[in-house]
Amino acid sequence: MRTPILGLAMLAIAAPAVTSATAEVPIGALAPDFTLADAAGKPVTLAAFKGKTVVLEWNNPGCPFVQKHYGSGNMQKTQRAAGAQGVVWLTINSGAPGKQGHMNGTEAAAFVKAQKASPNAYLLDPEGKVGHLYAAKTTPHMYVIDPAGRLAYQGGIDDKPTANPADIASARNMVLAALGDMKAGRKVAVTESRAYGCTVKYAG
Amino acid sequence: MIRALLALLALVSAAPLCAEALGTTNHITPTLVAESATPAPGSRITLAFAMKPDATWHGYWKNPGDAGMETLVDWKADKRLAFGPLQYPVPETLMIAGIMNYVYEHDYAMLVTLDVPKGIAPGTTLPIEAKLDWLACNPSVCVPETKTLTITLTVGDGHVDPAEAARFDHWRAALPRPLGSPAHFQIAGKSFRLEIPLPAAAATDKPYFFPLTDKVVDYSAPQSVTREGDRLVVEATAKDGAKPGSVEGVLRLGPQGGVAFTATPGTVAAATAVGASEGRDQSVIVATLVALGGAILGGLLLNIMPCVFPILSLKALSLARSGKSEADARGEAVAYTIGVVAVCVALGAILLVLRGLGQLAGWAFQLQDVRVILALLVLVSAIAFNLAGLFELPAITGGDSLAAKGGKAGAFWTGALAAFVATPCAGPFLGVALGTAVLLPAPAAIAVFAGLGFGLALPFLLLGFVPALRNRLPKPGAWMDRLRRILSIPMFLTALGLAWIAGRQAGVDGMAAALAAALVFVFGLWWVGRRQAAFKTGAWWPLVPALLIAGAIAAVMPHTAPAAATVAEAGHEPFGEPRLAALRAEGRPVLLYFTADWCLTCKVNEKVAIERPEVAQAFAAKKVAVMVGDWTNGDPAISRFLSAHGRSGVPFYLWYPAGGGEPRELPQVLTPGMLAALPA
Repeated sequence: MRTPILGLAMLAIAAPAVTSATAEVPIGALAPDFTLADAAGKPVTLAAFKGKTVVLEWNNPGCPFVQKHYGSGNMQKTQRAAGAQGVVWLTINSGAPGKQGHMNGTEAAAFVKAQKASPNAYLLDPEGKVGHLYAAKTTPHMYVIDPAGRLAYQGGIDDKPTANPADIASARNMVLAALGDMKAGRKVAVTESRAYGCTVKYAG
Repeated sequence: MIRALLALLALVSAAPLCAEALGTTNHITPTLVAESATPAPGSRITLAFAMKPDATWHGYWKNPGDAGMETLVDWKADKRLAFGPLQYPVPETLMIAGIMNYVYEHDYAMLVTLDVPKGIAPGTTLPIEAKLDWLACNPSVCVPETKTLTITLTVGDGHVDPAEAARFDHWRAALPRPLGSPAHFQIAGKSFRLEIPLPAAAATDKPYFFPLTDKVVDYSAPQSVTREGDRLVVEATAKDGAKPGSVEGVLRLGPQGGVAFTATPGTVAAATAVGASEGRDQSVIVATLVALGGAILGGLLLNIMPCVFPILSLKALSLARSGKSEADARGEAVAYTIGVVAVCVALGAILLVLRGLGQLAGWAFQLQDVRVILALLVLVSAIAFNLAGLFELPAITGGDSLAAKGGKAGAFWTGALAAFVATPCAGPFLGVALGTAVLLPAPAAIAVFAGLGFGLALPFLLLGFVPALRNRLPKPGAWMDRLRRILSIPMFLTALGLAWIAGRQAGVDGMAAALAAALVFVFGLWWVGRRQAAFKTGAWWPLVPALLIAGAIAAVMPHTAPAAATVAEAGHEPFGEPRLAALRAEGRPVLLYFTADWCLTCKVNEKVAIERPEVAQAFAAKKVAVMVGDWTNGDPAISRFLSAHGRSGVPFYLWYPAGGGEPRELPQVLTPGMLAALPA
């Protein structure tokens, strides 16, 4: 009697659904399309950049890790290097209203200007829809999408997960490494790394 | 230089947005402490970073989860000192907006071992500087924090202040304990399965697998943990392309800690026959149906348990004896069924609510409170004495006076009573199946509880609706009174069992109090019986003072067992260094072994070798003392003893030969022959 009951119990225990709130986009899969308003309120659609390499950068200006890379000029330098290769750079803010780092369009434009940043657009995602679509977890969290629209890299901006700007000098910039591989027609050597930083301040 | 200036400028420009982040005080206050300020040369001491987070703030485990950062330490000290890695306590999960964090939301301590080399002269001062970098977060803000901590040790006698030792013991107890047995994992597509050997008897409370190896599992996806005999299977969502050579992690066993292990690739059978790929809704339905079937069957079987059988059989006989009409018989059967099902569903609903509130409750949860045991004891004693003939209770035996008018109501209350007194029997019998029910969606779980009641009521229901069955019952007669007296025996046994449980829960005093309450109540019933025999009206009033007195006893009785109530395995003494020294001074050989409830290898060795009769005989002949150290909850005295012997985990077996001499370490796999042959 005991064994069948145990068996039944096991059947039932395994039953509750196992689904992730945010499904990650696997490397090599088509990057899901989205449309978001930029700082000026103009809609920007990912699909419009088909044929070009696109970098997505999750941003929260209040996050010390973001400050590490903006304060040191590392993020701006990476943006310029990408821009020089004709890569499209989209900075996305998924901070919910009332949470750290949330900005309206005016604030976002002021941030870009003050930081001398050069993204093609600063996109506002206050509901976190696109953040959840890409399972963006930290700020910064970086994604590289190849010209065919497939995800080529996701993870941290570099391999030194600290808040100390002094570590940038000795860190390997993973975004530039991926872009370099793609430009040279090589397979991207490191397609994933641990994104580090603050938690994306989603609603809820 | 220019870059640094730029950085400074940029930070200042960002300041309005992150004023909080740039605050000068830390949100987690660290302190560096050494267990001994005067470590002896050639010794190993423990240092601790005691971390004190502000309210609502948390620090991170080594693997922070989806976001966060591990704590880094940079030591500056005498080159001869060797610092070990940071050892983290078992973390907690913290889900923020769908993102999983592995954190500490309370005071915690990370420990580091420090080896002081042999050649260092006593009196040497050892200044130590530790630059600690960690991340402090609250649900809306994260701040990387840093602090340089200093401490100065002086090489000396290795004295440890008892208060300091107690504090370190407390911290050590929070560390995961190394699992002695091999763990395996298997990745197939999106499915990650981990198998950890864990004895079936080891208690767990909301077990959770914290992976240390990154990029193996999706942290935010729910895990399902299943116990199957001596294995625990964790099912989680694998990361795409995860191909680790090994998986390190910590399994939380409950609030009292967890075990650390490194799993190697292997084959891990699914914890269930229901394929993970099947539609979940469908599998919930399947699981519900299967659990429902099991519950009905289980309920049916409960009818033959000692606490239920007398009630049912007498009710059945009364139905036959009363010679009622078809309609009355059916009505009574339905009323009885409703009574049973109502109590089962009510108990199930309470259980679900308790589970929802996060309490650890299982079926028969009501039996965890000694006052409920007392109430059941009083009730079961009353039923037993009723069956023995002390007084008449119409609801159960269909006593003549009230049978006619109280048929259906009587049947309902008999059913409720049967279901309620059945729970002590259901506990060990149906525990697993009912434990399953609570994991189903609430409506399905309630259906399973109702199924249990239906099963319990089924025999009586059949009797009510199938006249042929009723007719096959033996003809009423004087033998029925005899049967009734006989059936009081299992009821008395049930009462005895309940008294024993009361004793386990509340000690001898509690058991005596419970028995006194039952006795007072039975005196009241005796009086009722005398009045019934004299055909007095209002025969039941003596129960009022009896109930009041029994209630008063229940109110004042002790609710918890005295600490000394736990007894070690017969013939095996609990571990204690003074006692060990005393035994050795007597010249007796000693087998000292360390075990833990969660250590499968330990349990196997105990069953197949240590607790064998031939070993016991051999040991008795040689006057071998057996001493057991139970490390289930990380007893600090045992931790110290193990580390002094260069061990970090269990099992650990030591043989002290007679007449002193160095202890011999026994292998981790024992056989009875080997133990019996140990030279005394």
